[in-house]
Amino acid sequence: MLNMITIIIGLIQVLVILVLAPLLTGIIRKTKARTQKRIGASILQPYYDLLKLVRKDEVISDQTSWIFRACPWINFAAITTAAFFIPVFLAYTPFGLVGDLLLVIGLFALGRFFTMLAGLDVASSFGGLGSSREMMISALLEPALFLSIFVVAITYGGTNLSTLISASSNSSFLPHPQIIFAAIGLFIIILGETGRLPFDNPATHLELTMVHETMILEYSGKSLALMEWSQSIKQIILFTLMINIFVPWGISSSILLSTLAVGFLTFIGKISLFGIFVAFLESSVAKWRLFRIPDLIAIAIATSMIGIVLCYL
Amino acid sequence: MISNLVLFQIPILLFVIGALSGLLSRNSRLARLMIFVPSMIGSIFTIVFSIGIITGTPLKLTVPHILPFFDLEILVDGISAFFMLIIGLVSFAVSLYSIGYSKEYEIKKRMSAFGFLFNIFILSMILVVSSNNSFFFLIFWELMSLVSFFLVIYDHDKEENLKSGMTYLVMTHLGTAFIFASFLLGYIQTGNFSFDSFRHGSTGFPLLVKNLVFVFAFIGFGTKAGMVPLHVWLPKAHPSAPSNISALMSAVMIKIGIYGMIRTIFDFSGFGASPDFAWWGMLLVAFGSASAIIGVLYAVVERDIKRALAFSSIENIGIILIGLGLSVVFTSFNLTAFAVLALVASMYHTINHAVFKGLLFMGAGSVVSVTHTKNIEHLGGLVKQMPWTSLLFLIGAISISGLPPFNGFISEWFTLQALLSSYHIPSTILQISIAFASLPFALTIGIAAATFVKLFGMTFLSKTRSENIINIKEVPRSMILGMSILAAVCVLFGVVPYLGTSLISTAFHMSFQPSSPLDFISVQNNSGKSFANLSMPVVVIILSSISIAIFGFIRVLGGHTKKTTYGTWDCGFGSLNERMEYTPTSLSQPIRAVFKVFFKPHNQTEKESFGENQYLLKTIKVETVIKNIFEDVLYTPIVSSFVFFFDKVRRLQTGKINAYLLYIMITLVLLLLFVRLSNNA
Repeated sequence: MLNMITIIIGLIQVLVILVLAPLLTGIIRKTKARTQKRIGASILQPYYDLLKLVRKDEVISDQTSWIFRACPWINFAAITTAAFFIPVFLAYTPFGLVGDLLLVIGLFALGRFFTMLAGLDVASSFGGLGSSREMMISALLEPALFLSIFVVAITYGGTNLSTLISASSNSSFLPHPQIIFAAIGLFIIILGETGRLPFDNPATHLELTMVHETMILEYSGKSLALMEWSQSIKQIILFTLMINIFVPWGISSSILLSTLAVGFLTFIGKISLFGIFVAFLESSVAKWRLFRIPDLIAIAIATSMIGIVLCYL
Repeated sequence: MISNLVLFQIPILLFVIGALSGLLSRNSRLARLMIFVPSMIGSIFTIVFSIGIITGTPLKLTVPHILPFFDLEILVDGISAFFMLIIGLVSFAVSLYSIGYSKEYEIKKRMSAFGFLFNIFILSMILVVSSNNSFFFLIFWELMSLVSFFLVIYDHDKEENLKSGMTYLVMTHLGTAFIFASFLLGYIQTGNFSFDSFRHGSTGFPLLVKNLVFVFAFIGFGTKAGMVPLHVWLPKAHPSAPSNISALMSAVMIKIGIYGMIRTIFDFSGFGASPDFAWWGMLLVAFGSASAIIGVLYAVVERDIKRALAFSSIENIGIILIGLGLSVVFTSFNLTAFAVLALVASMYHTINHAVFKGLLFMGAGSVVSVTHTKNIEHLGGLVKQMPWTSLLFLIGAISISGLPPFNGFISEWFTLQALLSSYHIPSTILQISIAFASLPFALTIGIAAATFVKLFGMTFLSKTRSENIINIKEVPRSMILGMSILAAVCVLFGVVPYLGTSLISTAFHMSFQPSSPLDFISVQNNSGKSFANLSMPVVVIILSSISIAIFGFIRVLGGHTKKTTYGTWDCGFGSLNERMEYTPTSLSQPIRAVFKVFFKPHNQTEKESFGENQYLLKTIKVETVIKNIFEDVLYTPIVSSFVFFFDKVRRLQTGKINAYLLYIMITLVLLLLFVRLSNNA
């Protein structure tokens, strides 16, 4: 019985991620608009966009192969599978026995692998340009991400997200100074992974600046809807990880309706605040030149390395 | 029930039959079958035999005094059988593949030598892993090296291949010299060439001898495995050989080096649970990390598809060495559970690399055999003409990039967990250094994915970049079948890791947790909670059910929509052509720029102008070249100093008879003096 309930709650957590993902994108866009003295579209606009896109006809390039057509589905399935392993408002997920944080990274990498191939498949130089830049950024983000995970996993005793987040929700910041360094590192990486400024500008279609958008330039209709949706799911997953590892306050640690409700509400509050923070940050920095991005990743690597040294001292 | 001994003899006999029928037959379809069918059946028997040994008892056999002073001793235990299984699996797929592949060689030159060498090559590898006497081990080892040398220079009409063959020959003998030294130390200590006596006597060796035995074996077997900085032969020899041989060399032969290292460390070197030996592991981790990162950095900028795969072999050997090194470190601190984890990681990657690298080399061989170019700058768009090859190559590419749910992910997951477990080691310095070693390892995984995006994308996707490959066809069915076998193993070992872990733990007599195919692989932390869990079958179920669910959901939400095919968006200018596409060089340009300290890229420009005026150019050729630091900084000075030294020595050889008489005289006097002086003392 208890098992059944935890599995149902686990599935609800997945649904929450899937449903709220476009909302987070909407919140970020709205905040950005307001900081730029615009009124901006409604925060529900991403939902309308998705609904519009799935009903549109598609145009597919004649140069493409099955990889281009399969990529949105593989990408979506990979990223949504990752959502199963993320504790959202309960510090536990029954699927934690199936996969851990390293699997989540692996699934993201699988999605990205196919996105890069799809970019090359269309035979335009735009796609190649995006894939080429993504190759460089993702290759460099990988070690930075692993090092910050290293700090977190050793401090909280696991890459299993259930263990990790319940340990983090039970302990305070102060005995673990290394966590602060890991947080700085992971924050930089998340900006890179989700393609936000200063790595990539999600709002532009200019060949000098765009990375992610160039790879999906040829998509339309249902495929584009899937690509957009999976991008926002990836974003909400990474933001959830960030807030649940580093500011786990309020997350429910037992299956009681009252604590679950509190956990859910604090989750909504925290993720919106985090989104607004990212939006403010985006409004205040410019896109960095492509070859300055490694410097930023180097900062993330360096802070995580300090974290590792602090772990053992 | 056939006894193990008979099962061991059958494949040997079959490979000999294959070799002889290769020599006797003439160029015909029949000859191809007579060469490769025996080797296929032999490989099947090898697989059956090795599985029998892993699940049963070791085979031990001694033929006394087969040569004066030397007994032929054979011992096939779990470890040998594990490597024999790898040999059998890859050889089976490669033999099947070769039936179709070698058609091309039939037209060009005689098959007979090739068939002979092919069979003897596989046989020699089987004999190396099963010999239990250092003398015969070295004989079979030499046989393996020489046969593979002849296979590397099989296309000897190209001078480049002869050069790479020479590099290979020199390097492999350098390695053999060190292996010989390592065995000789064991002989001096025990007075016997048998591995059994090393095994029993090694715990009593002085510490210095133990360390020397390890270091010599590390250098010797490391050369064969292609470890940096002894790797220079590998990216030359593997691309020069015919592709089926490259598959065997990269997938299997370099693993024999790993076999030798494991044998020496765990059997003959007196290694035990004492912190004295921790530095062995750290040495392995250090050289492993260096191999991984340097191999992958060269692979990502490479334009020759087979060279890129060869560099990636260096990278994967690095990953295997990291796992092996961690296992040694954990054992020396008596952390058995984690030593097992690390060894499983290392061996899982060994078998994985054999499978996917064999697959990728065969895929590359298919591409080369129909397009006649190894340069991916001239390829592109092959996915339409070669759908099967491209699909199988893609499976190999995903596996080697370490992406779920294929096998590469599993072994890299294990290796990462072994790295994370380093926090149990009771030494802060080692903890921090291993944590820092995870930086190059993670970087390697990231760049490896980029490498294979580039290799697959540039070879198979987008528009064709040169005209002469437009009218090509898919390769024959036997080649596709050969590749599909290994592709199936990639998927199987990824989705059901239980197969691999139970195979390894039975072969190495270790206790490793998962007890049923659907069970979770788990690592525990100090407080008894789960450190990490993984259950790939469930992941695959989730993955596939989501795909179906989302397909239905989108269909219901959006209804039926039309799909129109139209040209790629060309900014309204029209006529996009292949010269506007991204090239492999431009694709890897950002990575080249980020690591410019390492690559030192520079442009070489060749200009040809009309007459005197240097501004009126007839042709201009710009090429981006990168520096090969190992050859320039390490090997060239050594080689040139040797050449310089022997140039000086040559002056002694005047050719005048009285000069030679003088030399004899001097030598005699010196010898007499030596005898006189040593007697006095």
